[in-house]
Amino acid sequence: MADRSDLKAELERKKQRLAQIREEKKRREEERKKKEMLQRTENVSEDSDLDRKRRETEALLQSIGISPEPPLVQPLQLLTWDTCYFHYLVPTPMSPSSQSVSPPSETGSQESIDGGTVGRTLQWDTDPSALQLLADSVHGCRMQRLGASKIVQIDFMPKELVTYCKETQTPVASDQPEEEEDEELSVTKSEPVPQQLEEESSQEAEEVHPRELTNEEKEQIVHSEDFLFFFDRSIRVMERVLAEDTDIFFDYSGRDMQDKEGDMQAGSNLSFNRHFYDEHWSKHRVVTSLDWSPQYPELLVASYNTNEDAPHEPDGVVLVWNMKFKKMTPEYIFHCQSSVMSVGFAQFHPNLVIGGTYSGQIALWDNRSHRRTPVQRTPLSATAHTHPVYCVNVVGTQNANNLITVSTDGKMCSWSLDMLSQPQESMELIYNKSKPVAVTCMAFPASDVNNYVVGSEEGTVYTASRHGSKAGIGEMFDGHQGPVTGISCHNAVGPVDFSHLFTTSSFDWTVKLWSTKHNKPLYSFEDNADYVYDVMWSPVHPALFATVDGNGRLDLWNLNNYTEVPSASVTVEGGCALNRVRWASGGREVAVGDSEGRVWIYDVGEQLAVPHTDDWSKFARTLMEIRANRGDGEEEGVLELPA
Amino acid sequence: MDDDQSAEETAFVVDEVSSIVKESLEAVIGRNTYEHKRVNQWTSGVVEQCLGQLSKLGKPFKYIVTCIIMQKNGAGLQSASSCFWDNTTDGSCTVRWENKHLYCIVSVFGLAI
Repeated sequence: MADRSDLKAELERKKQRLAQIREEKKRREEERKKKEMLQRTENVSEDSDLDRKRRETEALLQSIGISPEPPLVQPLQLLTWDTCYFHYLVPTPMSPSSQSVSPPSETGSQESIDGGTVGRTLQWDTDPSALQLLADSVHGCRMQRLGASKIVQIDFMPKELVTYCKETQTPVASDQPEEEEDEELSVTKSEPVPQQLEEESSQEAEEVHPRELTNEEKEQIVHSEDFLFFFDRSIRVMERVLAEDTDIFFDYSGRDMQDKEGDMQAGSNLSFNRHFYDEHWSKHRVVTSLDWSPQYPELLVASYNTNEDAPHEPDGVVLVWNMKFKKMTPEYIFHCQSSVMSVGFAQFHPNLVIGGTYSGQIALWDNRSHRRTPVQRTPLSATAHTHPVYCVNVVGTQNANNLITVSTDGKMCSWSLDMLSQPQESMELIYNKSKPVAVTCMAFPASDVNNYVVGSEEGTVYTASRHGSKAGIGEMFDGHQGPVTGISCHNAVGPVDFSHLFTTSSFDWTVKLWSTKHNKPLYSFEDNADYVYDVMWSPVHPALFATVDGNGRLDLWNLNNYTEVPSASVTVEGGCALNRVRWASGGREVAVGDSEGRVWIYDVGEQLAVPHTDDWSKFARTLMEIRANRGDGEEEGVLELPA
Repeated sequence: MDDDQSAEETAFVVDEVSSIVKESLEAVIGRNTYEHKRVNQWTSGVVEQCLGQLSKLGKPFKYIVTCIIMQKNGAGLQSASSCFWDNTTDGSCTVRWENKHLYCIVSVFGLAI
């Protein structure tokens, strides 16, 4: 009940309000209308005022027009109107009434020049002040000089259209004779004709255009003798090129060789192949020993001594490198606690690597195990070695083999690879029953398990034997004036046996060639200018051996060519002293170890490395010559030793 | 009257006018390619907008605005203009504008009233 009454009251109030609002609206409208009426009347009056002012200005303008001014200063004459634009020229409305004066765009466009039109259209200057300005400007010294302005030029460059014009000249087909005789005649004629042409061209300096050959002419050329000869020869060369990458220009008839023999050989003889270096393990270490694997010709083992810059690293490092692949990391890394002075693959055990250390221990590593430390070690006792072991060698046969090691105190031990806890036999190498030999290097002649040769620190070389009545040191070979650094027995197998020969290298800058039959050197090679650190005979060539010295020089001596100078020589990059040289078993590569921990592999050229069948006989003759020369020179103290 | 002020106010300021022109060109044409059907809209649009802006400046000038749009086809074009007027009060401004596909030349002549 109460709600309904409230609602009703509210409805009534709203109705009243609405009525009020309507009334107010009506009032406002009425007021506006009144105002408009008033304004219109005012505007009319304003218009009239405006009109008066305009008439005044018109009068002024006319007066000016009359005055003797240059005709240029005339009332601005309306020339042409463009209909579209004029809409936008209506100025801001000053009053609503002005809008009523519609822009006489259409009407005024065509009208002639009248003051009225001028007045009507000058709407934007209705402001009196502006009119004043106008008046003044028109009145005043607007008669200023008029002059020409600068010429404004605009240009756009045309784009050059690049056109290409290519002409092809089809060859003028000459009348082809149908008979072959005519063709032959024409061919023969063409020979004298070009000669004439050449003469003509030389006389007249005309250009002879090569004419395109007809198919028949081409066939003729292809079947001609000269062409067949050339083609035959070229085919062979091309086939070789495509199949191989060796020297395809080799002429078996030997005609080329005679001219260029020396140069050709020198160029391709000794070339750098690659080097092995490991940042972590080889840095700052000297390569103390190298050996190639007998089972896998691509594997090379290198031993390194201590790295003084890294006291926490193991002192002895042995790395196995692989020649076959391009990777720069070693295949296997082994270490031990003492510097490894000599290393070798076990001859008949492909997985074992043997190292002789500075402490006298012999370490045995196995690449089947995952350990980097030796799997077996000899004891550090008086029964074994107590001095650095510079020589390790496995000799014997598959079933009966021993490891021979010699240390610098003259002790030689023979071991079985299965058991390194004690040597099978040991021997003191004493010369003349008084002086132990300080052995620095050792070599076994080919296929000899009993006799061997050793070099010592005093510069003397001895033969020794393991068993027999004369076990121990045999003869002494005196010749070097400094410690013997390397010794190598001749091992190339061929028609003539040279196994009695061995070479030694020494600190006295020389390399000497010896025979076990004479206690004086057969020959002394004195081309080096520094300590010669190692020497090794080629395993395949009877007259070839390699030497390395402290200047970084690797020399290859071919005694069949020259005995005074090396046949090939190269200085290793960096010029570090080279400590070791080892021929690969094929005799085509040489591995060199230097004092910075790098192992350099050099390829030896075919001419030098591969022996010819007559090299053996040649070498025999060379030896005879050497002996003959030496025989003339030195006769004193030469003892013919029993073989 | 303040002649100095009036002189400044009634001078033809080339920079001002050229900036007005460039704005209107950017606004009307922008990056459009030359399309024959639309080009007439652009010319008239540019002129209209320029005139509108110029009149808003409120200076006592008469303005003449011309607009030329040329397609970039490799043709060359050469134009020249000169005026005989009061060099002190009147001025002109010519704006060369281009985009990738067309050239546009807008000339504004301002003649002091």
